[in-house]
Amino acid sequence: MEASGYTDHISRRFNKDIEELRNKVLAMGGLVEAQLSKAVSAIVSGDSELGLKVANDDYRVNNLEVSIDEECGRILATRSPAASDLRLIVAIIKTITDLERIGDEAEKIGYLAAKLAVMDRPPDSYSELKTLGNHVSHMLRDAMNAFARLDINDAYDVAAEDDRVDEEYEALTRQCITFMMEDPRSIKRVMNVTWVARSLERIGDHAKNICEYVIYMVQGKDVRHTAYSESSDLSPDAD
Amino acid sequence: MSEAARKTVLGIVLILAIGAGIGWMYGRPETGLLIAAVACLLWQIRQLLSFERALRTGDFDDFRHGEGIWEQMFSRFQFERDRAVRRKKEYRGLLREIRKSTNAMPDGAVILDADNEIVGCNRAAKELAGLRRKKDRGQRVDNILRDPELTRLLLANDYTATINMASPVGHGGWLNCRVVPYGADQKLLLMRDVTDRMRLSKMRRDFVANASHELRSPLTVISGYLDTLAEAEDMPAGWIKPVMQMQAQANRMKMILGELLQLSRLEAAGPASLDDTIDVVQLLERSKQAFEGHAHVAAIGVLAESAARLRGNQSEIETVVVNLLSNAVRHTPRDGTITLAWRSGAKGADLIVTDTGEGIDAEFIPRLTERFFRVDKGRSRDDGGTGLGLAIVKHVLVRHDADLVVSSEPGRGSTFRCRFPADRVVDVPIAEVS
Repeated sequence: MEASGYTDHISRRFNKDIEELRNKVLAMGGLVEAQLSKAVSAIVSGDSELGLKVANDDYRVNNLEVSIDEECGRILATRSPAASDLRLIVAIIKTITDLERIGDEAEKIGYLAAKLAVMDRPPDSYSELKTLGNHVSHMLRDAMNAFARLDINDAYDVAAEDDRVDEEYEALTRQCITFMMEDPRSIKRVMNVTWVARSLERIGDHAKNICEYVIYMVQGKDVRHTAYSESSDLSPDAD
Repeated sequence: MSEAARKTVLGIVLILAIGAGIGWMYGRPETGLLIAAVACLLWQIRQLLSFERALRTGDFDDFRHGEGIWEQMFSRFQFERDRAVRRKKEYRGLLREIRKSTNAMPDGAVILDADNEIVGCNRAAKELAGLRRKKDRGQRVDNILRDPELTRLLLANDYTATINMASPVGHGGWLNCRVVPYGADQKLLLMRDVTDRMRLSKMRRDFVANASHELRSPLTVISGYLDTLAEAEDMPAGWIKPVMQMQAQANRMKMILGELLQLSRLEAAGPASLDDTIDVVQLLERSKQAFEGHAHVAAIGVLAESAARLRGNQSEIETVVVNLLSNAVRHTPRDGTITLAWRSGAKGADLIVTDTGEGIDAEFIPRLTERFFRVDKGRSRDDGGTGLGLAIVKHVLVRHDADLVVSSEPGRGSTFRCRFPADRVVDVPIAEVS
């Protein structure tokens, strides 16, 4: 596709390789997004079968990671890319690691969903987890959209969203502690809830990382461990 | 030659002749001819220049005094030009109307080229799927809408299949997507908002499941006391029959509720797992033994034409066989025969239950899998059926990607054929079987 600016190479084969690589990463992103939303709905609907299915399907994410990694290595070795191509490959190698971690967290949530399904269910059927889960799913989707569109404004927005996820996680943890103090019998169940919340919060962090790779890929600028308010003041076009 | 052209030629010839004539009178015809020719040239150049100016400025009013062939050319040109302007305006209006109408369409439409790259989309697609018109042009659509099911649909080039996908914008929305061929080598991805429909069917499912569940506890109490009453020794003789009937009906209600719950579980569940394999022939034999030997049961035969195994849920497939077999037993007289068959081929495998019973009228066949549908309304319900058996069969088969095909001839018997696709069937080498 012409819009990305990664396709103006003399070698058409190289264009095609890079394009296929991008498509594969986005397909992996789609798979991970689907895994996450299934895991969250398994928690909310108490569907242990769905939870276990999510956990069992994680191998597909892992397989994709391995094959994309190999492909990246092959391109690095045979094409010796430079400048924006090199940044793209480097960003992809990092992105798939984070996607794979998100897949692992979704797997964990799937197992926990199967565990929670057989325990007592609260009357609100984990609506806080649902809110947090939807929030994080949204973040992940927007992060992958920013990757597809190479849109750094979106990337900055999504990365900033992580603070809100952290706040939500804080509040949820506090609530869980209160539950456990009130009724020690619920500790076993509520512990699982905190584990799910923890996984969701981690997924938010991974989505934020992906956004940082997008910024690196487009601008060539490393914004990790910096306050976004400073770095986003710079013109987005500075390259 | 047209009138104007003739006039122009004639005029030039005339001027040249007059010039030559006047020159001849003064004894200098060449000079006269030359002056006349220069005059002609100047006249034509003036017209040419003013035509050029008119073209350049677009102001044709100045050119009104064109003469002869120039006037004709001018008016012809102006006519064509006006027509082109009018056409352009018309087309622009038409285009605006078309764009307005595609934008007013409630369904999202995305035009895709042969590589599934986005060529354009309407406003609904923008709102339903979060596409961006300018930014996403040239992107592959499955890079933006990354649902794995959608990717599969796009790759399959199947123009009849539809999928439901969670909406990428907002929470809890659902889109029904399908792909249709469009133009030369292009495709149209249509998306319809089915959130309300999905919500409604979920509500119905939940209602049935909850109602069945809530009815079960009071029913347990009732049938518990009825059981105690039935065993009581000091029961007045007049009450024995009513109590027994109440007991029978309470059991029937329990069965119906159990099957309703089973149905709503099946409806909510996704496709059955591919990991477990079922030995179908063994299952058929077992089902046959469960029914055989009772009074009024027709002869049951098992025809194992394949040793292939089926991928799926063992207990659900067993339910299918038991339900189909119990239907066959109920509708086949004692001297009839019932055949259970299992055969496989390249396209998949068939599980077939054939009977020589009373058969079903063709008009009822499409309605057989409806809940509580009965062919014979007047027929007593005491034959043991709940009216849910075939609905359960259908839902189990849906979960196993299979179809139910029913063929029947009244008076001759019926055939129920469950067709499983090839990827649900595992061929077992002959050696392993023996």
